[in-house]
Amino acid sequence: MKEIMAIVRMKRTGATKRALIEAGVAGFTAFKVTGRGKLLDHSEINVPCKEKLMGMAASDVIDRKESEEQVVTFLDDKRMFPRRMFTILAYDEDVPRIIEAIIKANRTERGAGDGKIFVTPVNNAVRVRTGESGDAAIW
Amino acid sequence: MQFVRAIVRPEKKDEVLENLSSGGFNAATVVDVVGRGKQKGIRMGDIYYDEIPKTLILVAIEDADTDKIVDIILRTAKTGTDGNFGDGKIFISPVEEAYTISKGTKGL
Repeated sequence: MKEIMAIVRMKRTGATKRALIEAGVAGFTAFKVTGRGKLLDHSEINVPCKEKLMGMAASDVIDRKESEEQVVTFLDDKRMFPRRMFTILAYDEDVPRIIEAIIKANRTERGAGDGKIFVTPVNNAVRVRTGESGDAAIW
Repeated sequence: MQFVRAIVRPEKKDEVLENLSSGGFNAATVVDVVGRGKQKGIRMGDIYYDEIPKTLILVAIEDADTDKIVDIILRTAKTGTDGNFGDGKIFISPVEEAYTISKGTKGL
């Protein structure tokens, strides 16, 4: 028995839920979390992102330096970004299939910030309604 | 790989994250939670407060870094010199696999 914890973009919650159903998994728990990842030093991701954000800045800004500063602090990666965390209980043999489905539903062209998946062992599970435990309690 | 779950005071959150970042652990996930501890919450006259707000910080790390990160959190989240009830707890559990979605690769 394994627990899969997946941290995904808020906007991809619906796509992830659909992908899970297609993968044959209906049950999950999800929370709103905030988080951050590794410090980004890839200029090939950072520079286009910076340009795009600068393009979105108001055109009547007198102090260009100020909006530049805002963009840089937005990308310095020390701030926390909102994400959705899914936890899914699964049989050992289903884990690779579920992980593949989550990865497929959540990859974007932006790359950095798409999320992480963790697989942790679970010793036991109990279904409250019937009291059955072990593999029978998963679904 | 290990999962470190630290429950800390909400007012200590920023300080802990800052110290984790400068200690080389920038990646973290934060959840607002409520809970009580061994002391059964706080009693104020006739009223019991047993849903005390705390912040849960989740960090996935390599095995070798466990002691370092626990040390950073213990030092930062403690209040006063001796610590107080309600400063929080740290739990460590194993992680078997980790994947990065953007690259589709295995590992942290």
